[in-house]
Amino acid sequence: MSNFEDWARATYRQAGIEVDENELVLVELIYAGALGQLEMLDRIDLEAFPARGVDLRHAPKAT
Amino acid sequence: MTHPQDLSLRQQAEAIRHGDLSAKELLDATLERLRSRDSSINSTPVVFDELSQAQISQAPAGPLFGVPITVKDMFALPWRAARNGTTHNLIPASASGPYRNLRDAGVIVVGIANQHELGIGSTGIYSAYGPMRNPWDPLHCAGGSSGGSAGGVAARLVAGSLASDSGGSTRIPASYCGVVGLKLTYGAVPYDGYFGAATTFSAPGLVARDGGDARMLTAAMLQRPFPLQSGSGLRVGLVREPFWNDVQAEAADACTKALTSTGWKVSEVKIENLELAGAAFLGRLIAEAGIPPTDVFATLSEPTRALLLAGMLAPARFVPRADRVRAAVRYSLAAAFETVDFLAWPTTPGAAPTIDEPWVTIPSGRVLVDVPNVRQNSLANLTGAPAISIPVGLSSAQLPVGLQLLGPWGSEARLLDAAEHVERVSDRAYVNLVPPLAR
Repeated sequence: MSNFEDWARATYRQAGIEVDENELVLVELIYAGALGQLEMLDRIDLEAFPARGVDLRHAPKAT
Repeated sequence: MTHPQDLSLRQQAEAIRHGDLSAKELLDATLERLRSRDSSINSTPVVFDELSQAQISQAPAGPLFGVPITVKDMFALPWRAARNGTTHNLIPASASGPYRNLRDAGVIVVGIANQHELGIGSTGIYSAYGPMRNPWDPLHCAGGSSGGSAGGVAARLVAGSLASDSGGSTRIPASYCGVVGLKLTYGAVPYDGYFGAATTFSAPGLVARDGGDARMLTAAMLQRPFPLQSGSGLRVGLVREPFWNDVQAEAADACTKALTSTGWKVSEVKIENLELAGAAFLGRLIAEAGIPPTDVFATLSEPTRALLLAGMLAPARFVPRADRVRAAVRYSLAAAFETVDFLAWPTTPGAAPTIDEPWVTIPSGRVLVDVPNVRQNSLANLTGAPAISIPVGLSSAQLPVGLQLLGPWGSEARLLDAAEHVERVSDRAYVNLVPPLAR
């Protein structure tokens, strides 16, 4: 079993979810794609992206 | 004689108001059409024969008195739980907030609009009720997640439908089926009894055949008048990369042609940090998605299960960063609206793909259609802003293509004005196109 499979199975076991091998292949594919996109967030400069409140109902308040 | 469901929604309302058509006659004709026409597209798997008749006597004399609509499976009704495209009752039967607003305008809920399972998909292929097929060609998907709403309206089964939109779920099927789809500003209506309450991305959506009908539904939903204003002289911003450059040429060409005819002042616009918007959308969405109860999870299709399972593994460290980017992109969008009235680009990267092969070939490669579909639409959901998809013609395969307009928070009125302006300058050439199933 690969590291991914070990890790994923352990995670799902804790949640009481059974997965088969075919399912894990698809999950790994999706996860790899998502992670590739999400890792862009690791590279942001936190000073350039301050934590700010968000009220989605309205335009952001002028700074 | 014209079948009542070949009338527009506002013509239906007016005919009832003037006594030219009774609510019962309209309902009977609608039920007959649902029975005779829906089997080939599967837009409305649950029809309320007796319950809809009973609604007529209880409906208030509002502006939409007696007008039949469908409601997406994501909204609870007093007599039916919301199932969200699954086999399970996920929100108990109750009068959901969006339903209440439409009910108070006098609509008759004639059936449940099919939807992509849990709303997680832009094709409408996976649903406990079976796939939604496109009225323009049943081999092609109707889009998702609100495929039943768009397909049913396009096929002239009903003239309006209550949909929802968490990443394009109203606009994408509207584009694929050749109808108008409006995503409201986040939080514009009460969210109780609606799955949108579980995510910060979702907003109710409205599907209609043209801007005038969408305006009536919007007025009912938001419970205030939306008088028609001129849609001329507006300023529209184009965001070339990736929204225009990474789509099929015929989608971009149809949208360009429609925009050119409007006389609007068109300029190129840059949205700061847009390249991070997709990651922010994904990072926050995964955190909000969660896993349904085990008995529900066991019934889901393989792709939906895999998406949810993959999301479970995503590290939590991305969530606060996604929120920082989300806040920044909202400021970037607000800055863009200082120079333009709205932004425009193709709603989808191309026309509806087939159900057997839901992929699309675009300049960046051949990909599952969900990926560019969400990319083209999620900015509105990330920021909370409203957006509309309007039909602007047919592809070479005779399938509809949609143009998306994204406006500032609370700008539904202007988006509707813009939609009707496009209809006027095109002599209604696009909204009057009728799918083969409805001819």
